[in-house]
Amino acid sequence: MKTFIGWAYLAALFAFIFAPIAASVVFSFNSDRFPTLPLGHFTTDWYARAFSRPEVWQAIGNSLIVAAATSAIASFIGFATAYTDFRYGFRFKPAYLALALLPPTLPLVILGLAMLAWLSQVGLSGTLTGIIIAHVVLATPFAMAICRLRLSQMDPSLESAAWNLGAGPWTAMRHVILPFCAPAIVSALCLTAAVSFDEFIVAWFVSGLNRTVPVLILEILQGNVDPQINAIGTVVFLTSMSLVIAAQFLIFRKRRHE
Amino acid sequence: MNEPLVQFRAVHKRFGTYVAVKSLDLDIQRGEFLALMGPSGCGKTTTLRMLAGLEAPTSGSITIGGKVMNEVPPHRRDTPLVWQSLALFPFLSVVENVEFGLRMRGVDARERRERAMMWLGRMDLKGFESRRIDQLSGGQRQRVALARSLVTEPEMLLLDEPLSALDAHLVIRMQGVLTRLQKELGITFVYVTHSQSEAFAMADRVVIMGHGAIEQIGRPREIFRGPKTRFVAEFVGRNNILGGTVKAGLMDSAQGPVSVPAPDGPAEIVVAADRVTVSRNRPAGTAIQASFLSEEFAGTGIICYFETAEGAEWKAQVSESQLAELQPESGQSFWLSWDPARAHVMTG
Repeated sequence: MKTFIGWAYLAALFAFIFAPIAASVVFSFNSDRFPTLPLGHFTTDWYARAFSRPEVWQAIGNSLIVAAATSAIASFIGFATAYTDFRYGFRFKPAYLALALLPPTLPLVILGLAMLAWLSQVGLSGTLTGIIIAHVVLATPFAMAICRLRLSQMDPSLESAAWNLGAGPWTAMRHVILPFCAPAIVSALCLTAAVSFDEFIVAWFVSGLNRTVPVLILEILQGNVDPQINAIGTVVFLTSMSLVIAAQFLIFRKRRHE
Repeated sequence: MNEPLVQFRAVHKRFGTYVAVKSLDLDIQRGEFLALMGPSGCGKTTTLRMLAGLEAPTSGSITIGGKVMNEVPPHRRDTPLVWQSLALFPFLSVVENVEFGLRMRGVDARERRERAMMWLGRMDLKGFESRRIDQLSGGQRQRVALARSLVTEPEMLLLDEPLSALDAHLVIRMQGVLTRLQKELGITFVYVTHSQSEAFAMADRVVIMGHGAIEQIGRPREIFRGPKTRFVAEFVGRNNILGGTVKAGLMDSAQGPVSVPAPDGPAEIVVAADRVTVSRNRPAGTAIQASFLSEEFAGTGIICYFETAEGAEWKAQVSESQLAELQPESGQSFWLSWDPARAHVMTG
């Protein structure tokens, strides 16, 4: 009985979280113009229409470029930050860590405004480079947290053991630290890509004419309610979810190993 | 010819304000099995890490093979270390772990595989080469760690409490493996441990360290039977220590006069627990009175604990039959006696 209530509670919880997304997916295949019940017949028409629009492809291209660049840069900086924390003790370390983990705690509107002001100062407002810089700021703490978790599971003598066996500091990094952290780094790449691919508010502030997918969705929505949004939304959701699930899978797989 | 392999000269090591090692002078001979022993925080591990180049001495010099090594980074030394945690690489297979040192030295793939396989065979690990580290037992991991350190054929092997994580019966087996290996290879082993049974069972010479300095260096038996300082006497074995001033062969100890074969002046003597005889009635000769506290089974015999009227703890080793005969009960008074000639007079 108890387990039944537990399961029912879990099911209700998931229904609550996923119902709107599921509805969006369902209506993206529904022939009716407005999301009402009963449903009309099955159609992929909305997908065909949405993906025949050049600005959609343009936005997807922008999003992919930004996500790829953000994920590479954020993961690199995140790993380097985590390694510095792991390897060195220094005077203002707590401040260093707090600063490194700060960006996600800032209200996005503030961050977006600040980014817009700063990027227009340096002439990058409205460019993809600008969006990438803003997203790197936002995503790096996630990459750092993942790499830091992995490094905390490492036997601290592993690196010294590599030196002891004849590896210089950089060789030890390449042959010991990086292979040990590989699952975390791949996981960080996926997660930061997902953060960037999804991110709307900051992108909306700084993107200008180079719209990313979430920004484009809002623009279409402002015009009218169109099931094409459901179609685009479903694709975005699936992309982000796959990245997040891949990241989670890598984190949990490595735990099972040790 | 007989120049030592390693020389520590007036080596100091400070971490901030904490002095880990002070004015250390130590020679390590070629081909000897040297144990560095002491309680935790005595500086033994720091000494070993300085030898491997993982710490740099604050002052003084360390030479290996006649070359001053103070500033040489760890990867340019040939001082492989067997770590307390073993520090095997979890993302590499067994044979890849063993090959690591050769790979870092640029030995080509075929040769390093051959040499690694040779060492795996020597360590009884044939057939395990493609296993992951987490698929091995504790004893097998231990042998992989040894093979990984020895594959480059170093002149010296450093070991940092390598047996501390093993079960008691495996420790004895590994002690055999280590001593045999050291004899066969003829290389220097520097072995850090806090366990006197390990140090005394394996080492040619034992260095007892306390508070960052050397207390005594000697062969195991010398140290066991002839501790030089109170620190060593308390750390090694089950010893009773008695101090006082000697006058004409008699010491005025806190437990009354005892006969001591030492020249006049202040002295401390050590009476090993296995050289104390326990009796209910006062025996002839040197004896002190103490009340029984408790007993402890210690493999070879039973250690009885006593307390003198002055509050000093005394230990005596008795056999099972002796214990049955004495039937001691807590608080009962006994006489503890020994042959004065077999008491050790400390000189340190």
